[in-house]
Amino acid sequence: MIMRRRADDAGTWLIAGAVALSLAALLGLLGLLVSAGLAPFWPAAVEEVHLRDGRVLLGEIVGGEVDAIALRTSEIDHVGEGYRRVPLAQIVARAQPADAIALVLADGRRLFGRGADAGETALLAQAGRPAEVLETTRPNALGGFARAGLFLHRLGRFIATPPLASNLDGGVLPALIGTVTLVLLMSAIVMPLGIATAVYLHQRRGFGVRSVRAAINTLAGVPPIVYGVLGLGLFVHGIGGGIDRWFYADRLPLPTFGGGGLLWAALTLALLTLPVVVVSVEEGLSRIPASLREGSLALGATRDETLWRLLLPAARPAILTGLVLAVARAAGAVAPLMLVGVVKLAPALPLDGTFPYLHPSRQFMHLGFEVYDAALASSDAIRGVPRAYACALLLVGVVVALNLSAILLRNRLRDRYRELET
Amino acid sequence: MRAQALARQRRGRLGAFVVGAASLLVLGGLLAIPLFLLSSLLPWRGLSASAWEHLGILLSGTVRATACAMLVALPLGIATAMFTAHFCAAPLRALIKPALEVLDAVPTVVLGLVAFATLAPWLKNHVASVLALIVAIPSLLLAAGFAFGARARGNRWLPLSLLPLLVAIVAIVLAIAAQRPSAAIVPASPWNAMLVGLALGFAALPLVFSLAEDALYLVPREQMQAAFALGATRWQALVSVLLPAAAPGLLAAALLGISRCLGETMIVLMASGNTPIGGVDVLTGLRSISADLALGLPEAAPAGESWRGLLLAALALLVLTVLLGSLADVVRERLHRRLRADVRT
Repeated sequence: MIMRRRADDAGTWLIAGAVALSLAALLGLLGLLVSAGLAPFWPAAVEEVHLRDGRVLLGEIVGGEVDAIALRTSEIDHVGEGYRRVPLAQIVARAQPADAIALVLADGRRLFGRGADAGETALLAQAGRPAEVLETTRPNALGGFARAGLFLHRLGRFIATPPLASNLDGGVLPALIGTVTLVLLMSAIVMPLGIATAVYLHQRRGFGVRSVRAAINTLAGVPPIVYGVLGLGLFVHGIGGGIDRWFYADRLPLPTFGGGGLLWAALTLALLTLPVVVVSVEEGLSRIPASLREGSLALGATRDETLWRLLLPAARPAILTGLVLAVARAAGAVAPLMLVGVVKLAPALPLDGTFPYLHPSRQFMHLGFEVYDAALASSDAIRGVPRAYACALLLVGVVVALNLSAILLRNRLRDRYRELET
Repeated sequence: MRAQALARQRRGRLGAFVVGAASLLVLGGLLAIPLFLLSSLLPWRGLSASAWEHLGILLSGTVRATACAMLVALPLGIATAMFTAHFCAAPLRALIKPALEVLDAVPTVVLGLVAFATLAPWLKNHVASVLALIVAIPSLLLAAGFAFGARARGNRWLPLSLLPLLVAIVAIVLAIAAQRPSAAIVPASPWNAMLVGLALGFAALPLVFSLAEDALYLVPREQMQAAFALGATRWQALVSVLLPAAAPGLLAAALLGISRCLGETMIVLMASGNTPIGGVDVLTGLRSISADLALGLPEAAPAGESWRGLLLAALALLVLTVLLGSLADVVRERLHRRLRADVRT
């Protein structure tokens, strides 16, 4: 009997360990995202490394192994030329001189030097090609508050400026605008359709309802990439190609709508998120107490008036929940976009000041794709991976905030119906 | 008065028409996926032998990635669900469920980035340690529970108390592995099926967990109270009452987890190396159907041979996921029927 109970305890500890492992992995993931996502903005110290052969290297430490460090030194001519792998055995001395200067040029190059007041101009004169100076700092001399200020300044610049010429430096404003525009356009497509379908499912009975419901249930589990295949084959090549042949024949073979673009991406995502919207709106409608609807009908309102004046307003939190969940799902879906028009560097924003302001045929940039592209497609991993982490943190921040607001909305919804019922 | 009533009714009919038309549009849009794939593949014009071979390798890569992921997600997800549904203190449960919902919301491209940039360089040198951990963690937990479990009996916050133990086990195993560089296993590629399995399994964990937890939590309380009344311990009630009652739900969770892994794109694309290698070796790279679609389709010329091959792959993926989803629905329906029957009797 005692052995039996001990075996029970062992099983309990095993599954409790699984809980602990899941939580630890989740915490580790979030910790990694926050630290690796914010690290690129923290002002790094400039190190002066004296080598055994008498050379002196000046730069930022950008990585390390067991027996070596990776150093980013001045990039005189072009971006990415200044990386040095220095074996620890060759290092005689390391220091962080207080008069070290770090410059960031407008094409993404970094320059490092030492010197007093006129040091910057002397340093700039060394550069192979002249370029505008974006940032001048003396990182080793900065105090704690100045460092934090610089950190926030860089964070703001990351969100609010376009990328520099090197594509791996500077901000992500176009990707952010692309993401937001795409999601807004998708919402404008999916919400009317989703709400109308939910109303249909809620009001009717019969074969039509059963088939729509079956289609939505089944296709909720279809992988996003398959929606992307549909978007490329049907929307881009089929419909888009047709529009081009009919309306933009003078521009062919250059595609207008026949290439990937914002509109097709928004349509693809709208299909992808439709089940989420329908399910949550329908749930909201079915939670409204029947007495309310019956009261409205008894007072002489038609079914339609009951719907517009009573049911839909009462289901507003559910509609919002559906919207927020759809937006969160859409913001995280990258795979289908790779087929229908996301690009790493779009020549023009899909949203700008020239008529008609929104350009649905244009290709666009996207935060999620930026993560993929910066990490994998770039040859410069020392710049690419930190940038990918920074974009990833921004994306996760947006998506998690959206999901949390959906949860809050759902809770408010529950309270509201409780009020209605009493 | 009469005219007004007529106008109201006409508006009502217009509304009904709009609603019906929208649902028809939705139905058409959703059916467009299989219809489009079939219509572009038919009439069937055949594929060359090399294209068929490529498809076979893609399918084997997809299955290998999914199998590795399930080895992570199923035990971890179902065990977590078992504790959360049956042993957990209510506040802890209210913490675990949203935490895993947050994990579910993390875009998979982010998990792919972590696998590619952080986990891959580490795993390259620690394959043997990970294998050792897979053996050591469960066996040491079992042993510790057997030896000291009596003291923590009824502790409903046990996972938090076990965190330090877990950290200690990991630290000790890694330290031992660092002492024995000769025992290290060097993978053929830093981006291999094992890495994909870890990342993808982690991505599928929330889905498996929440479905399994729902299935376990829905089992009527009366059944368990009956087990307690007959003198069963909590663990005995779990094994002999909860698990059999919720078995169809757990099966559905596994099926939907598999379906999710089959179609997952970004993680596989970033962590698998995308090398078309067949076989069952977990330490070589792989290329999955979804990654091949993402990489190949934008470049393929419409109606060319590679285009048709890719569409066939997409159709295979669609059929597989829809089959798994329908199977899960059937199984879950059985669960609900069984639970309803139990409540009645």
